[in-house]
Order: sequence, then structure tokens, then C-alpha cells
Amino acid sequence: MALTTNIHIARWLQLYKKLLLFAISSLLYYTSVGEYLVAAPVSITVQKSTAKQALDYIDSFDFTGSDKVWPNVKHNLFIKNIQKNILHPINIYPGEGTYFCAYSALSYLLLQEDPLGYAKFISSLYKNGKAIFRDVMYEPSDAIKREAGLLKYKGIMDIQPADQMWFLTLADHFKGYLNIFNRKYDLGDESTFWASVNYAKFNRMGKKLLECKIESKGSDFLRPRIKNLYEYIAEKLKKGKVVLYINNRIVHKKNHVKIKLAVPTHFIVIEKISKVNDVITLVYWDNGGCTLIQLSPAFLKRIVYGITSFVNQQADENK
Amino acid sequence: MKTNKKILLPALFIAVMLYSCSPKNISTKYYYQNEKVLDSIEETYKEINSSTPFDVGFTSKDFTIVSLGILTDSLKYIYEFKVGDNRLADTLKKFGLPVKPVIELVKQMQSIRCTWISSYDYYTDEKKQELIFMSIKPVALNAPLSYKKYYILTYFQQPQYFDNDGLLLERRKLKRLRKINGEIFKRINDKVCYTVSTTYR
Repeated sequence: MALTTNIHIARWLQLYKKLLLFAISSLLYYTSVGEYLVAAPVSITVQKSTAKQALDYIDSFDFTGSDKVWPNVKHNLFIKNIQKNILHPINIYPGEGTYFCAYSALSYLLLQEDPLGYAKFISSLYKNGKAIFRDVMYEPSDAIKREAGLLKYKGIMDIQPADQMWFLTLADHFKGYLNIFNRKYDLGDESTFWASVNYAKFNRMGKKLLECKIESKGSDFLRPRIKNLYEYIAEKLKKGKVVLYINNRIVHKKNHVKIKLAVPTHFIVIEKISKVNDVITLVYWDNGGCTLIQLSPAFLKRIVYGITSFVNQQADENK
Repeated sequence: MKTNKKILLPALFIAVMLYSCSPKNISTKYYYQNEKVLDSIEETYKEINSSTPFDVGFTSKDFTIVSLGILTDSLKYIYEFKVGDNRLADTLKKFGLPVKPVIELVKQMQSIRCTWISSYDYYTDEKKQELIFMSIKPVALNAPLSYKKYYILTYFQQPQYFDNDGLLLERRKLKRLRKINGEIFKRINDKVCYTVSTTYR
């Protein structure tokens, strides 16, 4: 009897191990993107349209009826907001204490690449409550249409209803495994897992929003295996734009706890990187502006979990 | 009697530990006990910040490493220095910040275990307002099992609205609680509120 029980236990343990192995490998598969490559015809540094084209489009657009679709979006603030985004993409701001950093990083790149495309999409979304952007239909829920314009105490985002519309719509549309347990928007969800972005989701969004060649390395849990990270980033930067997926808890400390969870939390767009005497100077864009920090190669390696490059295809081909 | 003692002593110990770790023992009282120095830090910061926006704090537990963030038109610069490092003064000079007042501010912050000071913009009826956000790590919140370690103060320019329990509201008519950095704040006076938080910024 005891022998049979032991055999049963052993079988269960084997099955349990297999299940665990399967779960871990599935998780790694869904969270990492390895050497993921998506090719598309246009490069990020080749501007598809100009700010002037975008502003002219807004001037001639008929916005009649939009106040019924988005009851809390004030028209004058909406226009001011999109004009500002078109003229100064650098200032696009995801809001204080929200989980919109990934969406804002992609928006910053999109506004540089195709301001007219952005203007057409946001105007149509404002007027009709739904819009198509690069063959994808975005139709935010009624809860989002009600809440856009009402987000408060998020810094300058308080008076930028177009950004509230845009970020809420993107977060409502794109879903990843972090959003499994909170898929429907409720009040305050801009600062919860409803808006979270994992690395695979970020790359998927990049593919849908930007018409360019995307290369990415990294995952949500394991740091990418790159011998010389500085050289790798610098090389990618020569060909186009680079977004890093970093653990911001150790870059911008918020408490004095020594043991911190080693997970990435933030997306930044790299503007410049240089190295003198083993000190790396990094200029990056996030939260509506550029920041300069100096760090060691070891620290850079510690914080980076993902590198996504939006490759200038022409530069790549010329090489 | 012996059995009672065996149960009573550990129970008493646990109760004392739980009480000491609870953030309840720090409240408005802390502000009034340290009002002068806290208000002086806020005043100094507000004055310097109005000409060159910056934030300053201590990123090390022993209050020896100063983090300085300076906002210019094109870039935000973030530096870290050891307290007393000459490079701090050089950097302040480079960015046109008044060296002596900033160093005095840092010393004052260190003396009261003030971990961070910065300003936040918010909008009321589309008008820009500013609040000063200050976090302190008092010894009372230093208990080993204490989860919430920082006493946060917010200084508003205008009187704020509160509910009957003294909790900060978004607006007088709108009975929605106002959160700053995800925390609910309590009234100290019309313009100053506090909370206890897990993070200092």
C-alpha cells in the first residue's frame, strides 16, 4: 500500500514539475521578445508629414458635434493641446502619477514622424468617438468618453484634454498580460494595472503606431545578454530612435529600502549617449522633457531590461 | 500563574511592537512641534525655486548623499553629491542658483531628516497653482517593522477644502477625495496637509 502511495506521489511530483516547467517557459515566451524584428516600409527618421500640414488640417476640420461624444472635453483646450503637441512634441506629458509612460514615449516618436497622421486621427476620434489609425480601429468605451477631460491633479495634463483622450484610448485598446485582471476602465484606473504596459505589448503598440522597422532585445524579467551595452545602444542610436525599458525604482529612488524588486517599470527615449573615462552621460526623454544623468556602465547594465530600436531603414541599407 | 505569564509577556511584547510600528503616533503634533524649522525650509525653497526650478533630497538612508535636480529650458539635470562635496557649490554656481542659501537649506533639511522637497503644478479653473511637497523621515517612523516611513507635508498657496473628518477634497462642492501621489491627505491648517507614506516622492 505504502509503495503504491509513493509511486502516486512520485508521479504527481513529475507531473507538477512538468506543469511548472511549462508555466515558466510559457511566461518567458509571452514576456520576452528576444530578437524580435518587424519590418515595414518607412523609417522613423524619415518624416512622413510636417507640422504645418497638421496645423492646416486642424484649421480646416469641422468639429461640430464633438461635444456630444466627449462631454467633458472643452473644445478650446482640445485645440490648444493638439497644436502644442504638433509644434512641441517634446512636451507631451503623460500626467503625474499615471501609468502612461509607454504610451507617451510612442506618442513622442509618432509626433516627430507623422504629425498629420496624429492630427487626422485625434480630430476624427474627437468628432466621431472612434477612428482608424494605420488600419486599426480605435473605439474607446463610454466610461473613457465620460472621464476624458476630468482627470485632475496630473500636472499640466489637467488642462490637456486631448492627451487624456489619446492616452486613455490607447490604454483601452491595447492589452497585455498585465491587464488580464483589470480590463475595464474604472475611475482612477490610469494609475493601476489597467494602464500597465509589459515589454511585448510595448513592441506590439510600436508596430501598430509607427511605420518603421523595429528591433528589440529584452524581457520583463531578465536583462538582455549584451556584452557591451553602451556600444550596442550607441550603435542603434546611429540608425534611428532607441527606447529603453528600465527599472526606474533604482534610477529615481523613492524610498531608502536597500533591497528593491528587480523589475522594469518605465520607458524612456534615448536622445544622446556618450562615454568619457567609464562615465556614461545619458540624455533621455520622458515625462514631457529631456533629462541628463551620468552613470557607470555597471549601473546601466543593472537598470536596462529592454532595448527597442526604431531603425532608420535607409541608414541600415546604406551600411 | 506561570502559564498566564508565558502568554501575557509575548502578547504584551507584540502589542508594544505593533503600537510602535503604527503610523498613528505621528500626526499634526509632529508639524506643530517642528513648525518653525519646517516652515523655514518651505519658505527658503519656495523663494529659490521661483527663480530657478529645482528639487533636492537625500537618497541615502544616513542623509549623506544629496540628490539635486535642476530644471532648465531644455534639460533637467540630475546630480548626486556627498554632503560637503565642493562640486555641489560649483554646480549651483554653474546653474545660477544661490550657493549659500541652497547649502543652508540642505543643512537644515539634514538636521530635521527632511528627505525631499520639490514643487508640483496643479490647475484650478484652468489656472496654474503650485504646491510645495516635503517629506520627512522622523525617528518615530523608523521602527524596524514600520511599513510607512515618511511623513509628507504639502503646502498650498490657497486655502483648501476638507470634509468633516479633515480629509482633503478636490473641491468644496465635489465630495471626491483628492489624492496626491496616490495618498489621501489630512488637514493641519487651511493651507498645510499631511500624510504618512511608503515613498518620499
